[in-house]
Amino acid sequence: MALMVGAFYNPHLGAELAVASGIDHLAMADPPAAHDPHWPAIRERYTLLLHDYLGQLSEPLDERSIQRARSLAELYRTPWVAEHFQCLHTEDGRYSINYVFPPLYTEEFLQRFVANASALQARLDQPLVMENIPGFFDVKASQMPEPAWLARFFDATGAGFLLDLPHVWLEAHYRGVAAEQWLAEFPLERVVELHVAGVEEDADLRGPWIAPTAPSDDMLAFLALAVRRCPGAKAVTFDAFSPSLTADVLFTSVARIREAL
Amino acid sequence: MSDRALQDIVLRALADGPFRASREWQQRALADPVRVERFARFLARHFYHERIVHFFKYSRALARVTGRRPEAVLRSPAFDALFPTMVLGGRNTARAVAGLVAGDVVHGAAAARVPYLKELLRYESAMMIAEAGPRVWRDDEPPGPDDGAPETVEGTALLELAYDLPAILPQLLGPWADVPQAPARPITLLVARSRHGRVTVALADSVVARVVELADGRRTPEQLARAAGLGPGELEAALAGLSELGAVRFATGS
Repeated sequence: MALMVGAFYNPHLGAELAVASGIDHLAMADPPAAHDPHWPAIRERYTLLLHDYLGQLSEPLDERSIQRARSLAELYRTPWVAEHFQCLHTEDGRYSINYVFPPLYTEEFLQRFVANASALQARLDQPLVMENIPGFFDVKASQMPEPAWLARFFDATGAGFLLDLPHVWLEAHYRGVAAEQWLAEFPLERVVELHVAGVEEDADLRGPWIAPTAPSDDMLAFLALAVRRCPGAKAVTFDAFSPSLTADVLFTSVARIREAL
Repeated sequence: MSDRALQDIVLRALADGPFRASREWQQRALADPVRVERFARFLARHFYHERIVHFFKYSRALARVTGRRPEAVLRSPAFDALFPTMVLGGRNTARAVAGLVAGDVVHGAAAARVPYLKELLRYESAMMIAEAGPRVWRDDEPPGPDDGAPETVEGTALLELAYDLPAILPQLLGPWADVPQAPARPITLLVARSRHGRVTVALADSVVARVVELADGRRTPEQLARAAGLGPGELEAALAGLSELGAVRFATGS
């Protein structure tokens, strides 16, 4: 089956996306705005993927959140539902970093994510896929490497893997290992969808980080290598969702991704 | 300690500058402190970029006149100077960041063309400050009982403005050639926040204003009605509306 190649729905580019060609699908990070004039055409034209709507699976999801996710999944006619391996706010609601952040890779968190993802899967009519989240630093309380933790999660739940390649690339960079070598540690046989995007130098981190920019030639070569190792992959998504993203960067990036594959 | 509690400590360290500097955090030696500090600063700029772009969108729309984009303060030395005391989502930090934005935007040379600019910045700052604070992330956590003493929720603000800003806010976000001018008409706005962190702004009449000012968590509804000069029905209606917005809760303490 041919890989679908797509992007994220960026509402400020709705007019261009509504008439674009060469894009097979759009991932939806936010529900459509009530007065988005392009939404009807977008829904009609594209396969839509529900992405990261529910928050963190370190805690059980409440009924209203599940119902909202179910109704969005139906609205989008999404082939799968994607969530993140993330834990970004404290249990008491006092602190939130408002940015993706991975859980500790421990037995306790594994059981939490397995239990809550299994409960969510039971309420969804579509398969669940889970996306890896990069760590800028290791936390010494973690008990196993991220790839081993992910493999155990996927074995226990049967969920699919949304492999974010820049996240793998960044972790490898900050660990000082080759990206290809770090990638090989992950359970690639579980991959359903891949994300690819650009990275840019960040002044605070004093190193590269995710950015709404075009993927480099090296990143595209890394994508081609990864896809060859992911026999079950069905889609590749240009992972850029930002008001600063231009139509040119989005369309050029999707075209270059297609060429790289 | 559970791993979940340990994760909360890491999250707090990333969000809370004073905690990051404390012995309590540093003695745990859970992570490379240099990387933690770098990531915390990255997160802080991201956190307040989202809020400034959202809450200051009207003064942002005026940037071609004022010459000042509100988010520019995120790259200023004054913002960097806040790092040691910064607590992401804290009300004091929201107040400090909003103050930096307002101070920067109002100093634009072209600000004279926007006579209501200071009032607009007060309005936008009030929303950003109101949004700060702990929040309920789940939808199935029940609100407290509504039979105690009414209490104005921290962060709720009454804003007395000399210009009717709501009359022109939609115009500011649309296309315009000449700066939309706000009617010089005094109004009072209520800025409130729900338990889930949703900020609402509503026109406040004198009844709402009195209830918000007098609801201190000690007066019973009967005492509050007397102090505000309201009948029981009037008070009940006002409290229902204010509770819905998150402006008032019902204290249950002794």
